Amino acid sequence: MRDFWAGLRAIIVKDIVVEFRARQVLPTMVVLGMLIVFILRIVSEAGPSGPGTALMGAAALWIAFLFSGLLAQERSFAVEQQNGCIDGLLMAPLDAGTLYLAKLLSNIIILSIFEGIVVPIVLIAFHVRFVNSWLGLIVVLLLGNFALSGVGTLFSAAVQLTRTRGSLLSIVVLVILMPVMIPASFALLVLFGALPEEVAGSSSLAFVGSFESAVGYMVAFDAIFVAVSWLLFGLILDEG
Amino acid sequence: MHDMTPTDRLTSAALSVSSVRKAFATRPILRKVDLAVPAGEAVCLCGANGAGKSTLLRIVAGLLRPDTGRVAVDGFDMRHRPEAARRQLGLIAHASMVYPELTVHENLVFAARLYGVSDGTERGEELLADTGLIPFAYDRAGVLSRGLLQRLAIARALVHRPVVLLADEPFTGLDADATDRLLAVFRRFVDAGGALLMATHDIRVGLVCCRRVVVLDRGILIFDAGTDQIDADRFADDYLSYARSMT
Repeated sequence: MRDFWAGLRAIIVKDIVVEFRARQVLPTMVVLGMLIVFILRIVSEAGPSGPGTALMGAAALWIAFLFSGLLAQERSFAVEQQNGCIDGLLMAPLDAGTLYLAKLLSNIIILSIFEGIVVPIVLIAFHVRFVNSWLGLIVVLLLGNFALSGVGTLFSAAVQLTRTRGSLLSIVVLVILMPVMIPASFALLVLFGALPEEVAGSSSLAFVGSFESAVGYMVAFDAIFVAVSWLLFGLILDEG
Repeated sequence: MHDMTPTDRLTSAALSVSSVRKAFATRPILRKVDLAVPAGEAVCLCGANGAGKSTLLRIVAGLLRPDTGRVAVDGFDMRHRPEAARRQLGLIAHASMVYPELTVHENLVFAARLYGVSDGTERGEELLADTGLIPFAYDRAGVLSRGLLQRLAIARALVHRPVVLLADEPFTGLDADATDRLLAVFRRFVDAGGALLMATHDIRVGLVCCRRVVVLDRGILIFDAGTDQIDADRFADDYLSYARSMT
């Protein structure tokens, strides 16, 4: 157990230090995120409700998060390919699950830093003056973070270790994440005051029903995909 | 960690490779390789390009799975107790396995933590002294020359005090001084009871460093003898003409 925590901590600290020194992912993520926010802000000026709405803000936040987040996932195992560092990790007396968890947590930390920068920009750019619950916002963003990192870490390893084409990562991850984006969008719209806490009718959002069930769907998605990815990670390392 | 006494470890093989076969697609790379390296012995693994040396080392390191056969390190089966087996292994590969963004010292401390070495910082400093890297301890690995990077790779491979050290062409890119330093590190490792399996094209340096030489030819071990049983100069000449004929 001591080895598990020592290995986990060592990899996470190493990943964060390497990222802050190389400055390869975070600056690119922030630039891409701000570009997406800027474009959607300009487009929203032509809308009937004028420039900047909570509705567009929620969309901008998740789109920026998804596409910028994919960059972090791609880099996650690419950094291990330089100088054959991946062999050093695979030779360490750690099981595949520990390696997966370490990489997952590193990605979550990097995505959280990105969110810490982009969320205030979205709130300002889209005039979101009202957030129902700041704690709720943090929980929803973290759940989205877990969803993207859970799936992304697995497929990043698959792409890098099996030398599959990199474009596969984006396609597969985005397709897998589609179901969780519905409750994620619902939850964010409620938090931004653009939707009531409960919605009835026949739309996709009404299918989610309420804020509580949106969070419940996200928790279930995260639990299932992180657990499945954790189990499959060993197979990917064997194939690599 | 294991129940062998120091006396057992001197008499039983630290590294045991039994009936290992490996093919890529339909091309056989290793054909039933058997090799045992006792503790306190250095073995020079020779062979022409494509003979299967690197594949054998990667299988022993647990980075490739053999199609059939068994690898055991310090008594731990690589298939059934992979983590215990890997803990006893160090590898000096073609690539340095170090992070260019981390300093020399940080790379060693990171490797020590991966292996759960309790005195990681002290062990890192000890290895910096052994490999002559103290003046570069706080330089980033990315700015090191090829020779210094190789020294760091050696220190990294030894940081967790492995029982078996695998070295794949460890002298590539080293000048005479660095080669002598590396030979001294290997000698100390073997004298302390470690088992060294070193693949090299530099047969003359290999014969200086090892007490036994094995030759791999198209996936089959065709020669296995102690260096005291052969005329080193004649063997080196014969081997070099054989290697030339294979390329």
